[in-house]
Order: sequence, then structure tokens, then C-alpha cells
Amino acid sequence: MSSELKIHEELGEDYARLILSGEVDIYTSQNLKEKMYNIIDNYQKDLHIGCAELNYIDSTGLGIFVGALKKAKQYNRNIYIENLKDNIRKLFVITGLDKLFIIN
Amino acid sequence: MGNEQTAIELTLPLRAEYVSVARLTVSGIANRIGFDIETIEDIKVAVAEVCNKIIRGSNSKEGKYKITFNILTDGLEILFDCSGSNINCLFDSDDDILGISIIEALMDELKILKNEPYILAMSKILERDR
Repeated sequence: MSSELKIHEELGEDYARLILSGEVDIYTSQNLKEKMYNIIDNYQKDLHIGCAELNYIDSTGLGIFVGALKKAKQYNRNIYIENLKDNIRKLFVITGLDKLFIIN
Repeated sequence: MGNEQTAIELTLPLRAEYVSVARLTVSGIANRIGFDIETIEDIKVAVAEVCNKIIRGSNSKEGKYKITFNILTDGLEILFDCSGSNINCLFDSDDDILGISIIEALMDELKILKNEPYILAMSKILERDR
């Protein structure tokens, strides 16, 4: 199981999508933070995060998601979280973040 | 909690890129004990949350911290020791709330220790089918 993180960026007419595969932890999260924040600041559209291949996240990554949501709200945009694996979704529920994000 | 049987120790550098090693190690041990996949994922997160805190709490990347995995008759106990580095790594800040609440939700027991070589102990009981 790779502990790396791959981020694929997709820019649509009125949305942006980041497709994550691998693990978001204290080591890989800096890259994610930069990409997420940049795409929100520079593109200012709704952001979709594809999590079908996201195998691991902890409070480091969750904190980045929260920071990104705050940023998106500044532009009146939303963040949609897609295809969470069960063990990852559990962390969103434990922390109450499932009420903060739009989770598909 | 059952009697201690086997201890495995892992000493790691205070570097973020090696927290994944702690996760892999505990998943191997938890698998050996017989925890199911969902529980193993929970234990990995709990261990990483503590490692994250230790690494963020250190001022330099030099120095080490130690994780001791005690394989018990009825589960797994995990102890964290950062006396091998010149850092203050006690869990007494409000910033720790998110990480601590995650650990408390995922593990069966969490003890924050002071004035010991070990700063934190957590454990998970193996639930056996009856």
C-alpha cells in the first residue's frame, strides 16, 4: 500500500475537481494544502474532492479540508466530497465534519 | 486487561515522512493479534494522531521517539515515549482537542501520563466472536 498521495486536477467551466489517491497524512498533506488553497483562490468555483481512491486521512488532512472550506465560503462557494470510503467517512462523522461538508 | 506477553518497540526519528512506518508497523501487529480490518484502520489513525502531535511539538527534526506495542492476551496496548528528545511533548494544549477526540472515539482506553518516560498509553481490546 503506497503512502504517497497523487492529486489529479480537473477544471470545468463552473467547477473544479481534485481527485485524491493514496494517503493524506502529516507528510503528504502540505502538497494537498497548497493545491486546494490555490485552486480555490485562483479559480473561485465550487470544489469537488473525489475520494474513491483516498485510503487514509487523519486530523492533519481534516484540518486542511476545514481551512479550504473557510476559504471557499469567502467566495460563496461550496466543497463537495465524493465517494468516501467507509473508514474515512467514519472520521468525518466522529469529528462532526459530515455536517459541515456536502458529502455525496 | 490481560497480562503482558510480548513487547515490540519501534524507535523513530522526529520526521513526518516516517509516521507512515508507525502505521504500517501497528497494522502488522494488529493483524497478527486478530483485529478486523476496520479496527486496524482505526488503530492506525489513533497511532498517527499521537505521532503527529509529537512531531509538531518538537522544535527540531533531530532526536527520536519510541513506540512500544504490548501484545496482550486480549488486545493491544500502545505506549509513547519521547524522553529521547529534548522536547516538551506533553498533551496539554487546547490545539490537541481534535486529535484527542479522534483517539478517544477510536480506542478503548487513553491515558495521558505525566512525569513518566511514557507520555501516553492507549489500548484496544480484541472482541472475540462468541
